[in-house]
Amino acid sequence: MAKGSDGEGGVRRRDLFKSAGAAAAASAFLNPLRAFGQEAGGGTGTPSVGPGPVEIALDVNGGERKLAVEPRRTLLDALRGDMDLTGAKRVCDRGTCGACTVWMNGKPVYSCMVLAVEAEGSEITTVEGLGTPDNMHAVQAAFVAEDALQCGFCTPGFVMSCAWAVKEHGTELTDETLRESVCGNLCRCGTYTHVVAAALSAARAAEGE
Amino acid sequence: MKAFRYLRPASVEEAVKTSTPETAMLKAGGMDLLDLMKERVLTPDDVVQVPAVPERVRRVMTGPDGMLLVGALVTLAELAEAMAGPLPEVAHAASLAASPQIRHRATVGGNLCQHTRCGYFRLLSMPCWKRGDKECPVLQEGGVQENAGIFSNGSCACAHPASLPPVFAALDSLVMIQGAKLERTIPIADLYAPPKRGKLTDTTLAAGEVLTRVLIPPQGDAQLGYSEIRQKEAFDWPLVSAAARVVLRGGKIAAANIWLGSVAPTPHRAVAAEKALMGKPFDDATIQMAAAAVADGATPLPGNSYKAELATVAVKRALLRAAGRTK
Repeated sequence: MAKGSDGEGGVRRRDLFKSAGAAAAASAFLNPLRAFGQEAGGGTGTPSVGPGPVEIALDVNGGERKLAVEPRRTLLDALRGDMDLTGAKRVCDRGTCGACTVWMNGKPVYSCMVLAVEAEGSEITTVEGLGTPDNMHAVQAAFVAEDALQCGFCTPGFVMSCAWAVKEHGTELTDETLRESVCGNLCRCGTYTHVVAAALSAARAAEGE
Repeated sequence: MKAFRYLRPASVEEAVKTSTPETAMLKAGGMDLLDLMKERVLTPDDVVQVPAVPERVRRVMTGPDGMLLVGALVTLAELAEAMAGPLPEVAHAASLAASPQIRHRATVGGNLCQHTRCGYFRLLSMPCWKRGDKECPVLQEGGVQENAGIFSNGSCACAHPASLPPVFAALDSLVMIQGAKLERTIPIADLYAPPKRGKLTDTTLAAGEVLTRVLIPPQGDAQLGYSEIRQKEAFDWPLVSAAARVVLRGGKIAAANIWLGSVAPTPHRAVAAEKALMGKPFDDATIQMAAAAVADGATPLPGNSYKAELATVAVKRALLRAAGRTK
């Protein structure tokens, strides 16, 4: 996913942000970090963390990722900002547009409406974990073949919803079921018909597996 | 979001204790809560996660008396799956709600405690009677009224948007609530209270009380129908939702419950429509008559009189589904 970061001989926009934010991040790390169970909440004996950063370990795309986040940090912001997994996009940030869709234990969720701290213990799959440019998931390949994107910003979310539908229904996937499965994703370019065609062709391709 | 402490109590009792202070709020799936926290309408110091223990809080179970026990942490996706056999219309309502991404996170308890979707309530830059301001801007000249309520809208014209409360109410369901000292069980209708100036929630839950389960009594041969009308076929809130439950005895209607969502600050019971059904055969003429009585007592605003008509249609469709005459 970091492929081509210096390919054009320039500095990536994200890298620029990263170095600018490094100083702020470093100061945050001066605070002692806490993990669950280390401190009681309100004298009740209830485990609590925050409001400062807390160390967590997330299972992302099959590997463990350790990071420090405030409880208010969403899974989406942790994926993008702390783990450099920028496939999931931050658009509405209100659980409405679907651009941030990832799988939690194999099911699509809006990562903008999940706290990073509550994602501990769940298997998180992002579009980066589905396939790579050299080894694409059937749905990703079908998106390319069917030209199922225009500006591409909603695409990672659509791919996650479509791949879930294909996983759930396989060759039984119908036009209606697919449309229902992706109803939580919006595309302002209006690529819907191509998205449907891509997902259905990926479902048909699943027959051979 | 304002920074907060995140608490993970190990039991419901502990959740009661930690969520009792005014600065604490309970969180289940968090779909509604995080949304309101991002808008800074809600700014808790402590966010208390409703614990997934004991098991009854997160499962659908059948009681020895045939009662269906739905845990508050059951997601809408899980509810749709669990109800497909025993109560298909509940499954229908659950699967119409929101999108798959939300149904995988949003819970039954959260749906019952859902805050209004009124745009004024959710925008801090706007005044709102419910948030403590003097007047409800919906009722003022130029107020945006199309999503507002058409019943009991005198001082606050917000609408209760959740789709499950009318369904559970039509089924005569009860909710179990864990408090500091005891667990109480109340009819679901009693979970809701008319809006009060400065009171952000729509429920009668006291500080710290945790909704743990919904109890659905055995339905016998009762016939159930749910229908909702919305602007978009895909992923939208209902403009109006309606649930109807009818019991026939000797070819005549012996019991009828009709509840509506999104038309009043709390789930709304269509009493006149229920009366119109009683003692009649369950046919087209009766359904027409009942539907015609749905808007009885409605006080639509200039900007949402269409909702009175939608309510009529939603009830007609719910009754037709209950009668098994339409899909």
